[in-house]
Amino acid sequence: MSALDLAEQALRSADGDEALVVVQSERSGLARFAGSEVHQPTLVENDVVELQIVRDGRLGIASANRTDEEGLGVLAARASEAADAAPENPDFPGLAPAAEPPAVEGYDEEAAALGAEDQARLAAAAIEASELELYGFFTSGLTELALASTTGLSVSQATTDVAVLALAAVDGASGYAEQTSWRAADVDPAGAASAAVEKAKLTRGAVELEPGSYPAVLEPPAFAELLAYFSYDAFSAQGLLEERSYAFDKVGTKVFDERFSLADDALDPRGFPKAFDFEGTPKERVALVENGVLSGVVWDRATAKRAGRETTGNAPPSSLRHWGPLTFALSVAGGEADTPAQLAETLGDGIYVTRLHYLSIVDPREGIVTGMTRDGTFRIRGGRVADPLVNLRFTVSVPQLLAELPGLTREPVLINQNAYYDERYPTGLLSPAVATARFDVTGVGSGPGV
Amino acid sequence: MLELCEEAVAAALGAGASYADARVVVRRSQVVGTRNRRVERLDDSETQGIGVRVLVDGAWGFAGERQLDANGAQEAARKAVAFAKAAPGGHVRALALVEPARGEFRTVVDRDPFSLPVAEKVELCLRAEEALQHEDVKVTSASVRAQREHKLFVSSDGASTEQEIVECGGGVDALAARDGVTQIRSHPSAHGGSSAQAGWEFVEQLGLEREAPRVGEQAAALLRADQCPCGITTVVIDAEQTGLQVHESIGHPTELDRVYGTEAAYAGTSFVKADDLGSLRYGSERMNITADSTTPGGLGSFAFDDEGVPAGREPIVREGILSGFLTSRETAARIGSGSGGSMRADSWSRMPLVRMTNLHLEPGQGSLDELIAGVDEGVFLQTNKSWSIDDKRLNFQFGTQIAWEIKGGKLGRMLRDATYTGQTPVFWGSLDAVAGPEEWTLHGLTNCGKGQPGQHAHVSHGASPARFRNVQVGFRQ
Repeated sequence: MSALDLAEQALRSADGDEALVVVQSERSGLARFAGSEVHQPTLVENDVVELQIVRDGRLGIASANRTDEEGLGVLAARASEAADAAPENPDFPGLAPAAEPPAVEGYDEEAAALGAEDQARLAAAAIEASELELYGFFTSGLTELALASTTGLSVSQATTDVAVLALAAVDGASGYAEQTSWRAADVDPAGAASAAVEKAKLTRGAVELEPGSYPAVLEPPAFAELLAYFSYDAFSAQGLLEERSYAFDKVGTKVFDERFSLADDALDPRGFPKAFDFEGTPKERVALVENGVLSGVVWDRATAKRAGRETTGNAPPSSLRHWGPLTFALSVAGGEADTPAQLAETLGDGIYVTRLHYLSIVDPREGIVTGMTRDGTFRIRGGRVADPLVNLRFTVSVPQLLAELPGLTREPVLINQNAYYDERYPTGLLSPAVATARFDVTGVGSGPGV
Repeated sequence: MLELCEEAVAAALGAGASYADARVVVRRSQVVGTRNRRVERLDDSETQGIGVRVLVDGAWGFAGERQLDANGAQEAARKAVAFAKAAPGGHVRALALVEPARGEFRTVVDRDPFSLPVAEKVELCLRAEEALQHEDVKVTSASVRAQREHKLFVSSDGASTEQEIVECGGGVDALAARDGVTQIRSHPSAHGGSSAQAGWEFVEQLGLEREAPRVGEQAAALLRADQCPCGITTVVIDAEQTGLQVHESIGHPTELDRVYGTEAAYAGTSFVKADDLGSLRYGSERMNITADSTTPGGLGSFAFDDEGVPAGREPIVREGILSGFLTSRETAARIGSGSGGSMRADSWSRMPLVRMTNLHLEPGQGSLDELIAGVDEGVFLQTNKSWSIDDKRLNFQFGTQIAWEIKGGKLGRMLRDATYTGQTPVFWGSLDAVAGPEEWTLHGLTNCGKGQPGQHAHVSHGASPARFRNVQVGFRQ
């Protein structure tokens, strides 16, 4: 049974009510390796049905992965009880009307056909290409999102995702590389492993660095992670309406370097394209920053109703509803540099960062984020990537970091944003490498390596 | 459903596995959340399935299937074996010997949270929110949660167990904003409140409605508070934040799978090495850390872990010296010590990993007031706000929602935006007092991430407020 058929069947179990069904199906495999050996292989097959029942503006939600008739009956009873228990919500925007979603890419037959043996083989290809011990994973998945509602909504999208993460590491040295795409042919596990090895070789003999403010080059994985943490709050309408986010009182203001433009663009085939959000609203490109001007935030139906505007199609799964609308497809416009090395030349002196670790938001209003660098941190001296550094504690104001960007690389790279918690939903961030005039180092940590 | 587990194990052995275990999990979760006096979440979710783990010629395989019938069990076993055969290991994986566990366990519950009308939970959240209101508070929220997990386990070593574990929890938050400053206060802790392995009686004891006026007032007062000054000083840390410090800088680094590098690519490794056991000075002599999967009310309590190893109580640090690790059967065999007991998976579709159970800082003596009285100049830090630690668990930086100046042994003015940072062994080496058993409290968190694919563990930490000397406070110079 297809995900959409299942959604339609579940909708019938909510007979007599206004209702929306969301089905998420997953067939995936992840071959995780450490010390050049697969140690945590995981195969998942699952179908999760979520039923949202609306009674007089009161919303109740239940979900389950029991899809037989009895299971769907229990689901309807629980959603009904929840709806009956809720007080009327005058802000409830109602269910989304039927709409034709845009045609998008994002499904690859070759990726969909990858099975456990293929996932093991491709993990082995990464391992065999590494002359150092390799840590990471190869994964591929076929997921389907389907929505059906009493408002006439009936949409589904099958997507594929493929990713390899390679950490080449020994005692005192480590390097990182990753590749991700919805197309199997775009992902080269051996290539990622080789890149990680080359980076690792440069990290031996790492030294400490005095805390302070440094110009820096951030490779795409580092910049993407920092931007994602900032964006969850800064570019969500919920934080704006609640007067607590960075964007509050700044929409329409030039606050970043004019080289910086950012959109949430789920239609871009270079990312993980999506046709509609978790309310069934068709996806669109949403400009967030245009030449340094903070031009907008993303909206779902609830926040849009409160503000008297239209949703942008950024409703998250209901389990993340407390975050408000979310940016799942950030895309940073490229610049003029061909390579990160060119950005280092532009800076002359500074630091070079490959990857970040364990970020945390210190102050959402000011956009202050802390975390560590890892697996490839270097000094830049005389315009060249020079001596390796230990992992650095940074505590940065992201707006200050974005205020002066001497350069960006031309071609954004898709960086995987999926840690594969809960239901699989492929997301990525298209990011170039950037050079920033200010990266605040506030401490030093452990050295590279395992 | 034990029969399904047995069928899966038999199918795996028949397909060539030298070891197999199977877990059937049926888990129901309910979350009620309100925000700004509107119901934001009213979710009731249930997931069920079987996870089969196998060893074939030294290689692990794992597969999960949602179909709880003979076909599902056999299919999961077949796929797990096929995956293991496709990704052969490079060495033999031995498992520490354990007596095959057989038995049942059920959380003792006074009030079944799922028999309580949902409307009652909604009303509690709305009442608590009402009590949070203050003119400077822009966002109020309240939430309660309940979970019941029915888990059956069978292994080819002869283990056969059945457990039903019930959790409840809740919390309130008030976010105040004015003139470009935002501040948040929470009760009983941040990030969704606190949970315990208990019935609804735990939520009733949290006092969400009772504590809400203080929470709202403190959030508003923080808007006008001075920023916490930077410098090296003495800090007294409340039990909740001390528990998180234990979690990040002791719990994770002593997970033996991390020590052996299996988390290197994601969560990281550890500054602790396997041969540090019995010799590494982790902290001062006042530091005593215990892993205890028998703690009443602990989210990491059970009768058997997800390898069928019985629960127990193990010292991790004694008088400042590393004295134990959190282990699986595989890592215990590798180090030649213990028999595991810390393996848990967050669902039927995930492979068990070494996870913290309940990790406690053992109490010292005296009251919080006495700890503060011993400080000439310093700060008292309360309730986690931000947290970060490096991939080997050495350099950390934490922020707290509120701080109080300490002068002459007494609490003074309220301070905001407090952070503190340090290096793990140096920081724990500066521990000079832990308050006594009367100040010891248990805090349960449900968001401990690890593994690829990712898994969230539910963990509890018991701690009393603790005092540390010569700590770097603040990052803004």
